[in-house]
Amino acid sequence: MIKVSNLYHSYNKDEHYAVKDVSFEVEEGEIFGFLGPSGAGKSTTQNIMTGLLQLQKGNVTVAGYDVKTISNKMFNQIGMSFEESNVYSKLSAKENLEFYRKLFDVETRDPMELLRLVGLHDKADIRAGEFSKGMKHRLTFARSMINNPTLWFLDEPTTGLDPAIASEIKGIIREQNKKGVTIFLTTHNMYIADELCDRVAFIVDGELLLIDSPRNLKLQYGDKLVEVEYIKEGETIKESFSTIQKEDLDKLQEVIGKYEIQTMHTKEATLEEIFIKVTGRELV
Amino acid sequence: MKLWHSFLKEMKLSARGFYFYVEILVAVIILVMILFVVPENFRSVEDEYLFYDWPEGVFEEFVLPTLMEDDLDGKIESVEVEGDDILYPAQLIESEGTRYYIFESEEAVLRLTDLDRPKIGAIIRMDEQSQPYYEYYLQGYETQRLRNVYSIFHILDFDLMEAEFESQEVRSLTDGYLELSDRENIVPAMLTFNGSMMGVFIIAAYIFLDKQSGIIKAYAITASSVWQYLMSKVLVVLVSTILSTVIIVVPIMRLQPNYGILFVLLLASGLFSSTLGLVVASFYRNMMQAFGILYFLMIGLMLPAIAYFTPSWNPAWVQWIPTYPLIQAFKETILVNGDIGYVAWVSLGFFIASGILFVFANARYKKTLVS
Ligand SMILES: Nc1ncnc2c1ncn2[C@@H]1O[C@H](COP(=O)(O)OP(=O)(O)OP(=O)(O)O)[C@@H](O)[C@H]1O
Ligand SMILES: [Mg+2]
Repeated sequence: MIKVSNLYHSYNKDEHYAVKDVSFEVEEGEIFGFLGPSGAGKSTTQNIMTGLLQLQKGNVTVAGYDVKTISNKMFNQIGMSFEESNVYSKLSAKENLEFYRKLFDVETRDPMELLRLVGLHDKADIRAGEFSKGMKHRLTFARSMINNPTLWFLDEPTTGLDPAIASEIKGIIREQNKKGVTIFLTTHNMYIADELCDRVAFIVDGELLLIDSPRNLKLQYGDKLVEVEYIKEGETIKESFSTIQKEDLDKLQEVIGKYEIQTMHTKEATLEEIFIKVTGRELV
Repeated sequence: MKLWHSFLKEMKLSARGFYFYVEILVAVIILVMILFVVPENFRSVEDEYLFYDWPEGVFEEFVLPTLMEDDLDGKIESVEVEGDDILYPAQLIESEGTRYYIFESEEAVLRLTDLDRPKIGAIIRMDEQSQPYYEYYLQGYETQRLRNVYSIFHILDFDLMEAEFESQEVRSLTDGYLELSDRENIVPAMLTFNGSMMGVFIIAAYIFLDKQSGIIKAYAITASSVWQYLMSKVLVVLVSTILSTVIIVVPIMRLQPNYGILFVLLLASGLFSSTLGLVVASFYRNMMQAFGILYFLMIGLMLPAIAYFTPSWNPAWVQWIPTYPLIQAFKETILVNGDIGYVAWVSLGFFIASGILFVFANARYKKTLVS
């Protein structure tokens, strides 16, 4: 569905690449997570794939179209939900969707049905300018489904939403995927990635560090961790140690020998901890 | 179809927005100004400050009666003109276009000519042969031509000149070529400004709204083309241009203009200004950044209007500014028997220029949607 090879991009057309030698493939029907800290180059890569940024160097094929010679027809198959909601504030929710409907050559979905899906059906006739941030975000999300896309780009689809709505959005994403929609999900949120994605890619400073399924990553890196709470010079300290890495084991033994232990559990590594371990970077 | 729907949506947005009403309001203000502030014809009254350094009685006997012939009410008024806290007595004779102030001293004329800047100050003396001679005090901005007229004026026999003048016949080459009144004469410049040049600003404002709200990106990932997006904006600007022009032209000119050709010219000039606005807006992210260049453009485009109102200032380079032929063409459309061929050529020129600008804008927006 997507094939990116040796992609480079520099905003100033110099040696400072926002994206460096990135290559990956997304299979039809999978949910592919694109994870990395702020400024890693996620949006840059995504914008090149959707033609919002010009391809400078490398090869990118999206839904069978080479983005070098991007065609309007490609967009009949693509949906994109933006991180920052961008809807017409002077049009009502329904008018917004009605308008976008007219811009595709394929069969489109009923605006009211979409609004119901994201819980905005009773706000259909209210101008989007009067919406809260979360409501605008849901409208932007709903709009991205208007043309029944087979490839769906989602940029931080649940950020800033309250947990109940976030979980509904996750449900919608799963459902669409079950219908065969390929999903390219960009996020900082490792829990969502863990829950939803078939495979994830870690990108840091414009470079792709690894691609694998969350399950494989946990088997490989997510060796059992021990979380210890102990008292050191009158203060309670909480720390995690790997039970496989030599360094961590030595430290753990030292802690047990030297200090008073309060609690000690084993737990499975989260994707976030794996990310930190692999990249040496926090996910900000 | 996508263009049509985009256009409808843009119309809806602008009707709910702000700039549309700004343009209409500006048109109404211009209309009110032209109708109520600008007189039908400017009647400018000019002052002349004079002192006759002549023997007692000569002035009263020989000059005064001639001056009085032109006086409006047949009366001489005694007035006092103030300058630097001193009151100078004078006799005022008021004719159709000129107020003659006859002062009692040379000093009064010199001082007041300097202070009040009347059109002219003059001391009229008499030489040994009892012939009058004139000392003129000008303001310094008079053209060389006017100075030359003053210097030869008195060599000629005035009666002869008048006779010559009246024996000449002035005929227009075309019949029914009516002059515009001073008020109507303002209309072409106002149309150029309001109808056309506002478009540069308005369309840039629309684009910047879309850029800031990120809507331009959402549009870019639909199966609609950039040119349809841009054209829908251009069409909206054309609608408001035509509307605001009608607001100004119809009440002032009534049925006199050739509305058919005026419409064509409006389309051409509206297309030109809106495509120009698109190109400018493509280089900037918001109004703040673009304001300098937009302001500069507006001033540049208004220069021909200055040339239009100041017949003595008409340098060749001003004639290269696109609004120069535009003002002239607008004038032809509202004149009875205006030169339609000229308007057609100007329109064609603007259509071609707009086409080029639009193609360029389209390429720019394809490249710069995100950055
Ligand atoms: N329009 C731009 N002009 C110049 N540099 C840019 C532009 N957009 C992004 N960058 C730079 O490119 C790099 C990658 O940015 P990008 O937006 O792709 O990051 P991201 O992974 O999407 O981050 P976030 O999670 O904050 O959205 C950053 O260093 C950023 O400063
Ligand atoms: Mg981003």
